[in-house]
Amino acid sequence: MDVVLRAEDIHKSYGKTKVLKGVSFEVGRGETKVICGPSGAGKSTLLRCLNLLTRPDKGRVWLEDVELTSPSVNINKMRQKIGFVFQEFNLFNHLTALDNVMIGLTKVKKLPKDEARRIAKEALLTVHITEDLWNKYPAQLSGGQKQRVAIARALAMDPVIILYDEPTSALDPHLIGEVLEVMKELARRKVTGLVVTHEIGFALSVADEIMFMYNGRIVERGPPKEVVFNPKHEVTARFFKRISELYGGRK
Amino acid sequence: MSFWEEFFPALLSGFTETLAILAVAIPVSIAWGVVLGSARVYGNRLVSLIAAGIVGLFRGFPLVVTLLILFFGLPELGIYIPPFWTAVLAFILCSGAYQSEYVRGAIRSIDVGQSLAARALGMSKAQELLYVILPQAFRRALPGISNEIIYMIKYSSLAYIVGVTEMFSVSKRFNSLYFRPVEIFFTAAIIYLAMTTAATIGFKLLESKLRIPGLEVEV
Repeated sequence: MDVVLRAEDIHKSYGKTKVLKGVSFEVGRGETKVICGPSGAGKSTLLRCLNLLTRPDKGRVWLEDVELTSPSVNINKMRQKIGFVFQEFNLFNHLTALDNVMIGLTKVKKLPKDEARRIAKEALLTVHITEDLWNKYPAQLSGGQKQRVAIARALAMDPVIILYDEPTSALDPHLIGEVLEVMKELARRKVTGLVVTHEIGFALSVADEIMFMYNGRIVERGPPKEVVFNPKHEVTARFFKRISELYGGRK
Repeated sequence: MSFWEEFFPALLSGFTETLAILAVAIPVSIAWGVVLGSARVYGNRLVSLIAAGIVGLFRGFPLVVTLLILFFGLPELGIYIPPFWTAVLAFILCSGAYQSEYVRGAIRSIDVGQSLAARALGMSKAQELLYVILPQAFRRALPGISNEIIYMIKYSSLAYIVGVTEMFSVSKRFNSLYFRPVEIFFTAAIIYLAMTTAATIGFKLLESKLRIPGLEVEV
């Protein structure tokens, strides 16, 4: 397996609160892995430790063969290769959908405008944002459209991996589907992804592995069906029981 | 020659001088305010401290005192600039310090998610500031900045203290010659009013031109 992202013994504390207590895992090229677990388990913090938006107190992160946590690494350069999709979208408010996708290409990757525009349009079409929406500003888009533009913004940079931080948690229920659909398509196209989500249906249909986090640790991991339907740990079982009760029969 | 025949051309040349002061001081003070405000939030500890010091100083000095310090102090340092530029410099320092506070507040008001998204894309701190934060913060600071500019239009009259023959100094001179204060100062006041009104309208137009579609309530 060609490992593209490897985290080794990640620790992070805020004051006296230990948020991450030694998390290790790896993601292979083309894989989609899902992290789930109750609030406060440290999922978002873990994701931010991977592109060093938050610096881990201890532990190491590799992207392909570069150790990101090494002090000599130019982290800005490396972040270009790590897509990040936020729960709250965080599209740039003053830019149109197209410009949101283009800005990383023109300003960070320094591509010529024409080429950037071509790549951006392609990325927008991949996430089913049609031409009529390209010149809309974020405030004129629905939540689902915003999140798809955000995915396009990450995708256009041609990243090694895309990290998704609860990408559907801020969406109205009827808009979740369109975002999950896009994410599934990317997973099937073997765009490497690490997804923090409670969408079990998504995990079951495309994930190669589920990692269940609890209290700053990965307590259980394995093939989605196994972890969801035959959990070994009591906390995992309780969590998935709650989720399935909440979502009923929805897949 | 009648009083008005003499006063009007003089007033006009004073008005031109006032406009010349403002033509330089307005854009440069805005730029200086943006630089100072950005430095306070985005600068490292030293840069931020220096910026805070500059702001504190020129907000703390009365403008008249700043003017006189520059007028008498710069030559002491071997720097000789015409009074016109002394006045322009004083206005930039004073107004820029006030404007920087609007800019700083506006930067602080931008959602942290915007910074995170910029950094996640691989932007440097400078790129984040330039391409993501300032375009949004500047729009929010604009009403405050326009307020400072309107204020500056009026206190540009203080340039008379260092001998710049701008509109107020012309009016003052004519009043000493003819003692017709009501006509003279009222005329000048109307022209200042016209300028501030034009600035108000100008900034309103700029604000609406820069409004981000869908983001703010349209009234």
